[in-house]
Amino acid sequence: MKEVSHGLETFLQQVINGLSLGSVYALIAVGYSLVYSVLLFSNFAHGGFLVVGGYACYAALKVLGANIWVASAMSLVGAGIVAVVTERLAYKPIRERTNVTLYLLIASMGMSIVIENLFVIFVGGRFRALPPVIPTSPVSLFGLATTSAFDLLSLVASVVFLGALQIFLLRTKWGLAIRAAAYDLRTAGLMGVNVNLLVSIVFFVAGALAAVGGIFLSVRYTLYPQLGGITIKAFVAAVIGGLGSLPGAVVGSIILGLAEMLTAGFISSQLRDLVVFSLLVVTLLVKPSGLFGKNVSEKV
Amino acid sequence: MTEERTPLLEVTDLKVNYGAIAALRGVSLKVYEGEIVCVIGSNGAGKSTLMNAIIGQVGRESGDIHIQGAPLAKRNYQVVRQGISLVPEGRRIFAPLTVVENLTMGAFPRTDRSKIGDDLEWVYTLFPRLKERCGQYAGTLSGGEQQMLAIARALMSRPKLLLLDEPSLGLAPIIIKDIFKELRRINEENVTILIVEQNARQALLLSHRGYVLQTGRVVLEGDSKDLLVNPEVTAAYLGTGATRSAKAEKKS
Repeated sequence: MKEVSHGLETFLQQVINGLSLGSVYALIAVGYSLVYSVLLFSNFAHGGFLVVGGYACYAALKVLGANIWVASAMSLVGAGIVAVVTERLAYKPIRERTNVTLYLLIASMGMSIVIENLFVIFVGGRFRALPPVIPTSPVSLFGLATTSAFDLLSLVASVVFLGALQIFLLRTKWGLAIRAAAYDLRTAGLMGVNVNLLVSIVFFVAGALAAVGGIFLSVRYTLYPQLGGITIKAFVAAVIGGLGSLPGAVVGSIILGLAEMLTAGFISSQLRDLVVFSLLVVTLLVKPSGLFGKNVSEKV
Repeated sequence: MTEERTPLLEVTDLKVNYGAIAALRGVSLKVYEGEIVCVIGSNGAGKSTLMNAIIGQVGRESGDIHIQGAPLAKRNYQVVRQGISLVPEGRRIFAPLTVVENLTMGAFPRTDRSKIGDDLEWVYTLFPRLKERCGQYAGTLSGGEQQMLAIARALMSRPKLLLLDEPSLGLAPIIIKDIFKELRRINEENVTILIVEQNARQALLLSHRGYVLQTGRVVLEGDSKDLLVNPEVTAAYLGTGATRSAKAEKKS
């Protein structure tokens, strides 16, 4: 009897941890998917934006002595600006010359290496811990399970930011333009939308969301220049959910977070990644377009 | 009689290249306020290129475009702000957005947000079908309804000049007739229209003046009623016996 309740407690705990981890993946996957939906390429430099966000937060806390709110704001804006600059420098010249998105993909791989190594050279490759600005104390959930305040906070923060994104996309003029552009960028231009400005807005939003993920991930795993590699998980989540679909990115991320944490809780922590990539393989075999993949419904 | 006025749109010696291929080899044309002007020509004559060059989606090699005497911007979004909008070939409506969201997109560059509601009502009176379907996803509309939506969407920016690229493409003859009737009505509401069409007869019946485009050059221009009976035009674009039936249609 005691063993059963212990199992239940572990289960609840791991579900909360999974939701928390999944929601952080979702922040990264949604930004990544947003860029994909408009420009139709996988932006592998997305992990770089996350790292920029992490280091910006670290620097603001350590060097400037800012509080966590100011540091987070600087981190979001910083990563957003880096994302916009990356697009202007590396992607805009390409997309103005050709429609072949493969070149964008290759450029993004290059930018990912550039960003990572800029940090190795100028900041150093060692692991850094963010000062204890985000509480990690254990919290009891109605006596049923114990989790950390950090997990709850990251879950709440993700929900807030994803909700804000949803409101932006559904209720504002530029949000509508982004949804239109995700279907047909060229025709969005015909409507009088400044396409370059729109792409910059998309990158800024994606960069800022990645920074939120970056802050939480640097608390969870410490901060180092290769932290951006975790984006591969967000990429898997986006593929499982259906590339280019934002609800898909969120659902895929939650599935992935839960799968990882439940594997860690009941089987073995070392099998986490195996499960993640098995999920990817199964998705690609069974439904390559993902759960919410773009289904073209236009009659022609 | 209209020749002394400043044209609404004046294209002078416009050249456009796609790599080594010359798509437009020096096209000049004028559109005066209140007119419907058509450009006819066969496949590959450069009709769509002309539209895309005016709206700013294709770069110009050389040549000038003026709107009301002022130089036309080269970037697409600035051109729309100067009062030109394009109904693109193949309609290109936003399928996953609702009808009303498509129309709202058409009003994107406008700053007078309060008047957009009135214009929504205006396009709904032009195309009542769209009002019935305002909450529906645009991708679920029929071809004719999608064309209506594409036209209504372009009107939402309150353009001085409406460009239409092959509005009859892929539509049943009876629907084409409806659409062209609606275009005339739109013109009567003070929207100047420049239309390119492969369906030469319909375009000439609708318009006041016409230009014939052939491999990137204007080879013929004149009043549409003259072009309709011009032997070269009838032979090349209207098919045998077209003249008589066209006259008959015009009379009725």
